[in-house]
Amino acid sequence: MLKKHSVLITVTFVLLLVLTAVAWASNDTLVIGSGAEAIGLDPRLETDVPSFERINVIMEPLVKFAVNMQLESALATEWDVSEDTMTLWFKLREDVAWHDGVPFTAQDVKYTYEWVLDPANGAPNMGLYADIEEIEVVNDHEIIFRLNQANAFLMNNIARMPITPKHEGDRADFRQKPIGTGPYKFVSWTRDDRMVLVANEDYWGGAPIIPNVVFRAIPEDSTRLLAFEAGEIDIYQGGVVPQEINRLEAAPNIVVKRTPGTGYNYLGFNTKVGALSDVRVRQAVSHLINREGIVERVLNGIGTPGIGPVSMSLPWFNPDVQRYDYSVEKARELLAEAGVAPGDINLRLYTNENPVRMRIAEILQFEAQQAGINVEVIIEEWGAYLARIQETDDFDIFILGWSGQLDPDRAMIRQFHTNGSNNYGKYSNERVDYLLDLGRTVPQESQESIDIYREAQEIVVREVPYGFINYTEEVGLHHPWIGNWEVHPYGAAAWQDAHLMTKNK
Amino acid sequence: MFRYIIRRLIQMIPLLIGISILVFLLVHLSPGDPIRMLLGEEATGEDVARLNAVYGFDQPLPTQYFRWATRAIKGDLGVSIRQTIPVNTLIFERLGATLELAIVSVLIAISLGIPIGIFAATRRGSLWDYLSMIVSLIGVSMPGFWLGLMLLSYVALKVDWLPMFGRDASVLNGLWVLVTQFRADVLLNALRYVLLPATALGVSMMAIIARLTRSSLLEVLGKDYIRTAQAKGLKHRVVVIKHGLRNALLPVITIVGIQFGSMLGGAVVTETVFAWPGVGRLVVNAISQRDFPIVQGGVLMMAIIFTFVNLLVDISYALVNPRIRYD
Repeated sequence: MLKKHSVLITVTFVLLLVLTAVAWASNDTLVIGSGAEAIGLDPRLETDVPSFERINVIMEPLVKFAVNMQLESALATEWDVSEDTMTLWFKLREDVAWHDGVPFTAQDVKYTYEWVLDPANGAPNMGLYADIEEIEVVNDHEIIFRLNQANAFLMNNIARMPITPKHEGDRADFRQKPIGTGPYKFVSWTRDDRMVLVANEDYWGGAPIIPNVVFRAIPEDSTRLLAFEAGEIDIYQGGVVPQEINRLEAAPNIVVKRTPGTGYNYLGFNTKVGALSDVRVRQAVSHLINREGIVERVLNGIGTPGIGPVSMSLPWFNPDVQRYDYSVEKARELLAEAGVAPGDINLRLYTNENPVRMRIAEILQFEAQQAGINVEVIIEEWGAYLARIQETDDFDIFILGWSGQLDPDRAMIRQFHTNGSNNYGKYSNERVDYLLDLGRTVPQESQESIDIYREAQEIVVREVPYGFINYTEEVGLHHPWIGNWEVHPYGAAAWQDAHLMTKNK
Repeated sequence: MFRYIIRRLIQMIPLLIGISILVFLLVHLSPGDPIRMLLGEEATGEDVARLNAVYGFDQPLPTQYFRWATRAIKGDLGVSIRQTIPVNTLIFERLGATLELAIVSVLIAISLGIPIGIFAATRRGSLWDYLSMIVSLIGVSMPGFWLGLMLLSYVALKVDWLPMFGRDASVLNGLWVLVTQFRADVLLNALRYVLLPATALGVSMMAIIARLTRSSLLEVLGKDYIRTAQAKGLKHRVVVIKHGLRNALLPVITIVGIQFGSMLGGAVVTETVFAWPGVGRLVVNAISQRDFPIVQGGVLMMAIIFTFVNLLVDISYALVNPRIRYD
């Protein structure tokens, strides 16, 4: 009896060991952790980063952002923007085939953009491309976009739209089983679990080094980190638990890569209703943001103190704007100038259930108290919160962040133009409107463009529609057996060069 | 009995209609709308209006409800707004994982909870009694997500053959392979994955069962017929198991039924911590995205399963205790 049992137990353990060996990721498969499951894989319909993380391995746009955030060649080898920024010309790659072997041509490009621009298709990002008036196919490998109004920054939006195949794009399940021109081909997808891709041996950029890629969706940040430490995933970017960053950087067998991100967090002020309609009160509150303290204590050093809306790594960034150093004293002076007695101001500060934002709100509440401002913190569920900010002016302050601010137009026009679609605080300044409109008509590489946006930043920072809290930072983790990967400032593009990565475990 | 079941099934209809209206109103009247969730912070007013028209959200609520309800009766729960996949597909591809997790948890809870309860009850007042009850008190008090993270940090990270997250083959499939091909590897692999999440989910239920079994058994053991059985000279073990436990199990079954139902919905935290691809995660994601069809369909499905579980519990009373009859 006892012998029989021990045999059974031994067999079980041997089996488990065999299974474990199988379960350990081999050098043939790159296992990427992701913070959420993709919604779908059709670039014309998706709006979230997790979806684009995967799409950008399977499909490619005409041009893409390199790790240094310069536009580089993808499906287009050459491109040109006319002096008046009204015409965009692209020369396409000639040696590219879709994953099913059909050649890629200018017709696919035309098809993709016309599909997005057709209101009946309900493409959520149609607005990004609305300036495109017509698309002219010159020949199979040359295409021209004509705009109905100047938009010097349209190229950056084009870098965010991978091209879909005309001969397959209308297939009912394309969104779940896409094909593309990218380095890896779609194989299978078990939602909320894994997505499997296999190398595209005929990739124009050279056959991928690692034969398979698997995306694993692990929504809980702590679990993802544990799974990484256990070696079950090789690499991931974004959602690294801030409290663990110091330990991870000190760990000898974990590679931590960091780079400034493309976004920022801010306090949004209601500039039309209530006490904050006085610019001096807004400036006072901006002086109460303990930026260094927040970056150090709340974000554990992931990020840098905020200055203005334009990322420090962009050429348009203006370092000479007014700075709001943390000072209760200055805040008190500004309030006195505005004729407000201590204890007279009550502000409602809204945030969603984001833990970082909740802590920032508490800190601000405390600091404001020192200057005689009563801040009431109200925490709402994301959907309700967004509805309040976007549809009402029933708030004084809100905390929100922007990501993917790849150029000054994107970082400012929707937020600070009087008619801006995301100008929730109803900020309005004629000169800023003029500059932001003008900026679109000037080529983005020109000095004129830089001068325009530097002036706009100077005004915006002085008039404080936003209290800038911090610039974001992207953090990626990988094991030492992974090679040839850099953390990308724009999270959605993190794996676009997966074909160059190596794995030697 | 048959008539009783039919009557219960008919009673379910108004209940489900009520639930469907309630869920519909809750998701549609709560602030925030699916189009804004889809477009996120960058939404423009025109985009929102344009897409609302595309999806029919500009229609009056009663119109929207009847359009949804008439399809739901035919078994069509609509199409996800975000994923453009039929809700039926989304739910059924995850239902197996959720049921598997819940069933394995219940099995763990019962197979540990009842023996602990008996153990404690038969040694009432002893150190062992106190120890088991302290352990179950801790079990009830531990939040599932915390226990989950502890299991991951201190068990899975140390024991190589326990995976950190996810799910592989289903246990059912494993059993099938075992029976048909005499191969245990698929089953063992499936169990490897389900073990930790099921433990995290099952521990509090185990504790509840242990405590309930103990108190219920103690009450029964004080009854006259137990004294009679002992007086007859029956072995102590036979008295406890055959005469005592069988009568003490009724409240335990009730609690198992209710807990099983709440596990289906409440597993969402465990599913998130262990990246388990279940229905709970689907529905909670859908709530934050305001993906109405998934929320409505998912809740309706859970409600149906829950009422069926309740029915099964009621039927099982009669099996355990022949004195209970249904006309």
